[in-house]
Amino acid sequence: MRFRDLWRDFDWALFGAILVLSAVSLVEIYSATKNSQFEQNTAVRQLVWICLGIVLLFVVAALDYHTISEQIPWLYLAGIGVLVYTLALGRTVSGSKSWIVLGPMRFQPSELVKVVVIVAVARYLSELRNVRHLNLEQIVKAGMICGIPVALVALQPDLGTTITFLPILGIGLLVRGIKPLTLVVMLICFVLALPVAWPFLGQHQRDRITNFVNPEQDLKGSGYQVNQSKIAIGAGGAFGKGIFKGSQNQLEFLPTRHTDFILAVVGEEMGFVGVALILGLLGFILFRALNTAQTARDELGLFTVMGVFGIYLFHTVENVGMVIGFMPMTGIPLPFMSYGGSSIIAAFMAMGLVISVRRRRYVN
Amino acid sequence: MQLHDELELLRSRIGIVSYGVAAVMGVLIFGFWQLQVVQSAHYADLANKNRIKEIRLVAARGKIYDRNRKLLADNRPSYNIIYTRENSPNTTEQTIAALVNGLGMSAEDLNQKINRKRKDPLYQPITLKEDAGTGDVAFVMAHAYEMPEVSVEYQPRRLYRESQVAAHALGYIGEVSEAQLRDFPDLKPRDLVGIAGLELIYDSVLRGIDGSRRVVVNNSGREIETLSDEVKPIPGHDIYTTLDLDLQKAAEEVIGDRVGAAVVLDPRSGEILALVSKPSFDPNHFASGISFFEYKTLLDNPDKPLVNRAIQSVQPPGSIFKIIEAAAGLESDTVTTLDHVYCRGAETFYGRSFGCWKPAGHGTVDMYQSIVNSCDIYFYNLGKMLGIDKISQFSTMAGLGRKTGVDLPGEEKGLIPSQSWSQRVKRVKWALIETINVSIGQGQIGVTPIQAALAIGGLASGGRLKQPRLVQPQELRRNGFESPDVHSENYTVSENTVEAVAKAMWGVVNDGGTATVARVDGFDVAGKTGTAQVVNKSSYKKGGDNEDHAWFVGFAPYRNPEIVVSVLIEHGGHGGEAAAPVAHAVFDTYYKKKTGHFNAGTAGKVASLMSKRP
Repeated sequence: MRFRDLWRDFDWALFGAILVLSAVSLVEIYSATKNSQFEQNTAVRQLVWICLGIVLLFVVAALDYHTISEQIPWLYLAGIGVLVYTLALGRTVSGSKSWIVLGPMRFQPSELVKVVVIVAVARYLSELRNVRHLNLEQIVKAGMICGIPVALVALQPDLGTTITFLPILGIGLLVRGIKPLTLVVMLICFVLALPVAWPFLGQHQRDRITNFVNPEQDLKGSGYQVNQSKIAIGAGGAFGKGIFKGSQNQLEFLPTRHTDFILAVVGEEMGFVGVALILGLLGFILFRALNTAQTARDELGLFTVMGVFGIYLFHTVENVGMVIGFMPMTGIPLPFMSYGGSSIIAAFMAMGLVISVRRRRYVN
Repeated sequence: MQLHDELELLRSRIGIVSYGVAAVMGVLIFGFWQLQVVQSAHYADLANKNRIKEIRLVAARGKIYDRNRKLLADNRPSYNIIYTRENSPNTTEQTIAALVNGLGMSAEDLNQKINRKRKDPLYQPITLKEDAGTGDVAFVMAHAYEMPEVSVEYQPRRLYRESQVAAHALGYIGEVSEAQLRDFPDLKPRDLVGIAGLELIYDSVLRGIDGSRRVVVNNSGREIETLSDEVKPIPGHDIYTTLDLDLQKAAEEVIGDRVGAAVVLDPRSGEILALVSKPSFDPNHFASGISFFEYKTLLDNPDKPLVNRAIQSVQPPGSIFKIIEAAAGLESDTVTTLDHVYCRGAETFYGRSFGCWKPAGHGTVDMYQSIVNSCDIYFYNLGKMLGIDKISQFSTMAGLGRKTGVDLPGEEKGLIPSQSWSQRVKRVKWALIETINVSIGQGQIGVTPIQAALAIGGLASGGRLKQPRLVQPQELRRNGFESPDVHSENYTVSENTVEAVAKAMWGVVNDGGTATVARVDGFDVAGKTGTAQVVNKSSYKKGGDNEDHAWFVGFAPYRNPEIVVSVLIEHGGHGGEAAAPVAHAVFDTYYKKKTGHFNAGTAGKVASLMSKRP
């Protein structure tokens, strides 16, 4: 592989979309944190993460995804190991033992493990031959590949991150092919599992779900955050109040402004125009991923990109839906926008995978 | 080939996924469109409510002075602890739990205060503690970050400088009721309004107009900036009353702990110089948000301290009624001053024996002697000759049995009986024997102390009735309020009649009569005592309640009087012993002030020094 090839075949459009999102994210993270005494230099730190992410994106894009796939058994085992280490010796932040500390950096290994799981599931599904519909054994095997790390993350317990793993499996099974009956049975099992799981959920998780069903019921409790988010977005109007001028943001009525609710800051300060730009770019990235999957040279490339697509579709829909009250509240970040080193790194590496597949795409 | 087919199948499935993605993104964009374009104004309003906090700047109530610029109702600085439910990060339970220790109030108490206002809009603050101490204020300010929903509000608070003195005239204030809010659109929730006395009658004069200041606050309730649209509060108008604190105190002091009332009028103008009702209460307790228990104690007190006896206690006038009757007799040419009656101590009318208060009898008495010695037999005969309707007509004309029109709430009209009244109200023919009772002010007849003062003062002033007022119309006009002139009535009464009754009343005080105790050297005091039997006496078992009501009504000087005093001591015994000394204290103080010999106590001196400032 020559460096010149990388340069020529590189998906500059996708990369450009990511850079614009990152730039807007830096501005609004700065806007959201400049008044806070607790989050100093957040935008600067985000910039460092983005730079590191760009480097890793290029590294992954330069690699052949087949090479990565070949290394997947030990990468997967290493991922399991890190998750076990986190469970044993990790740092607890807001109730979840999901962080490990490396010198000056705090890191959420579960985010990186996602990328590994994407490739692992893709490799398993791509190696099945002459299969129109998956049989039960194959479904269970694919489920295990995804399920072991998911179980370890669930034990932290980090419900939000746990469920972000599920789209990898879900989209993989759907595209690989399952019988409609199997799909129905799986959905029924999932629905039946909800009341069984209910008593095992924490109080704040139950509150989030009940508040999603009835947000006006308790504006002071957990419904408060989504309500403030809707006020911020609605008050922004079509063109926004101007950067650094959103009262909901600047006067700190918005909760977790620089992380989960960053889109509410965009909505307030940049208005519908700003939100449309962000959603347009995210939509572009998702459709680019779909296009890349469709034109992938082989099944491994196809399933790899679809795994990435599944994860970030879910991130986007859940986070965007949450800030306007369409989805229940979870701590799932908005890709390329929310502050957070681990998720930024994971997202850039995942996009590196997409670009890697696209470079070797099937061309008529 | 097969491999290629399989890849094609997978690719076709991806094509289906892309439609799903487009649909989901469309729904999300639609959600933002709804919030940001369709409902934007609504949310912009909510955002403003979040960030802009309106602070009420409470206007000071107008002060109330006596006629000599002595301060009766003042204001002092105070702080309220208020609770705003809107945008609170805490639940009500959490807030209450945090405040129980900090404010030293019970959770039930706090809950009750909040529940009472449960239906108010959420932005409407609820007062949790009125007149909070410095400890409470410090606690709330120290916890502003965790509890932005609880804050401190400045409020000038009523201070009645003389506490219980003249409490019934001044009245008291309290939080506006829901009914008042409905009826008076200029009132706002949490306003303090007059509930009784002058505070109620002149509420619109005294009440100021609250201002407001709008501040931008952040999520923790910290004020970031003040908006420039501050509306300054406009204080209420000060009122100078006709009361004379020295006379008021003189009367209150002598009545002491007894149950009764006193009214001091200037019959020339109707100005009320003193208005006493005992027992009294401290209106300051109402100013700092009286507790339910404290209020109930006042209501349950058998002596009813909240009743303004000066205008609400309707009692048989006893012998003071003889003055009116004597005038009625002379004016109707039923008797002359020279006619006389022989008093044997008892006489039979309509088959029943009526006794004089002096069983031994007064012998031969004319009008002068019968008034000076309060002979009952003379007036039984006069009453019989007059008949109830002539008595009734003259009494009513003289100001009894109807409201005086005093500028205080809740005045009683009393009762002057007549044949038609008996027919109309009691549905029986008037029994003639009742006239004998009424002719000495007993039985089915009732007057209030203020009526007694108005009627006797009016008669002594030649039939001129000036509506009694605590605040004169010119005082209201000075403050820019419209006010009709004082209602004035004149009835025809001959000079000779006035001279005859006034002279006799002078005799009561100065010629060995029943009220010599009321005498003031150099000041021609005239008066009449009354001792009214308690109705249904037999039904009372307790000692004090069996006692008669003691009356005294007097004026001075006896020709062209400047001052008239009426005193009622309920269950006080004889008018001459129980009531007349109160009047004496008033006349004495008035005369000393008039002649420049009044020496107020130390407190009075300080008060007068302070009131020098205009």
